[in-house]
Amino acid sequence: MPSSPYETLGVSRDATQKDIQSAYRKLAKKLHPDLNPGDKGAEERFKAVSAAYALLSDEEKRGKFDRGEIDETGAETAPRNFYRDYAGAGGTAGRYESAHGFQDFGDKDDIFSSFFSRRGRGQQSMRGQDSHFSMEIDLLEAVNGAKKQISLPGGGPALDLTIPPGTRDGQTLRLRGKGEPGHNGAAAGDALIDIRVRPHPLFQVDGEDVRYDIPISLSEAVLGGKIRVPTMDGAVNVTIPPHSNTGKVLRLKGKGMRKPGGGHGDAYVTLKITLAPHADPSLAAFVEGWAAGKAEDPRKNLGGNA
Amino acid sequence: MNDSEFCEHLEIEVTVLHVWVEQRWLVPRRAGSGWIFEEDDIARARLIQDLTGPMGVNSDGVDVAMQLLDQIHGLRGRLHALMTAIRSQDPDVQRLILSRVDDE
Repeated sequence: MPSSPYETLGVSRDATQKDIQSAYRKLAKKLHPDLNPGDKGAEERFKAVSAAYALLSDEEKRGKFDRGEIDETGAETAPRNFYRDYAGAGGTAGRYESAHGFQDFGDKDDIFSSFFSRRGRGQQSMRGQDSHFSMEIDLLEAVNGAKKQISLPGGGPALDLTIPPGTRDGQTLRLRGKGEPGHNGAAAGDALIDIRVRPHPLFQVDGEDVRYDIPISLSEAVLGGKIRVPTMDGAVNVTIPPHSNTGKVLRLKGKGMRKPGGGHGDAYVTLKITLAPHADPSLAAFVEGWAAGKAEDPRKNLGGNA
Repeated sequence: MNDSEFCEHLEIEVTVLHVWVEQRWLVPRRAGSGWIFEEDDIARARLIQDLTGPMGVNSDGVDVAMQLLDQIHGLRGRLHALMTAIRSQDPDVQRLILSRVDDE
């Protein structure tokens, strides 16, 4: 324990009043018991520093000490209770203690969630937790929009959910205020619904576009003509040119997925020539007598050892 | 003690007290039309005096310091309750919790 108040404050014997004050400020800010509520030793050190300052900041006492007329305890400080001795003792709970600096300790969804937000004037209202759900919908519901009902695992009334047109797989829809109720009158959380879009048997989504096969008859393939083609938002008339082969791709502009920035992708329709389910003798008789058809070798460019 | 006794005890002006209460650095209990000050308010007022006086903290600084201090005491209170709860558990459970804390 330093014996001299100069050593206690860490200043030299010829320090000015300004030096002494600034040394005291530095130490006091570090050592004040109320700024170190858990450090028992802080009080002793703070008292020593305060006593030294009380002595040295008083020119008359400082002179007496320098001349050896009083010792370093010459400045008697009145016994004092610090605020930290009262804080947390119950009397201060409603007025001074604040919980709103550490609500984050309790924001996980576990048994401690309310532990850190219970007491004091900081008994802040807290928004309810969000509830998470997931839902599977059909591709056409996602593309064109739909109204669905979602029933909650814990019972309660089913929620009405509007699927907006152009909803994508993996998108999260939010129902404001349909989550957990808030604390102390605060707003309820939201219900967050993860949307999964079921694959469609016909329409294959490819980014902004959609691809699918369309069967055509032999006579449509040979002669061409108008056919009805389904799209995601209803059938359209499409003209196919004469002599359209299997594998020919038609682009239906704007019949793809809704783009996030506006507009639509396209539909790519691949034609597939399909014979009628039952054999037709007249067709067989025609092909039998069709010399050019028999001479044609569609495999001539395949390579390999045919 | 009442307003004037409190001010006399601390050697401050009533206007100073009103500023402290307005800033919520002090939240005395209400008694009829006035306030009642107790030991904890005196100790708190001494801290405010230390901050504004010898420690040279200005009023914005006191505002910050008091808010943080109140959070610390709130936190210490809950932490204390948590420790008490943990101490009341089986020694095995206590050790388990402690080992997880060290893992963090």
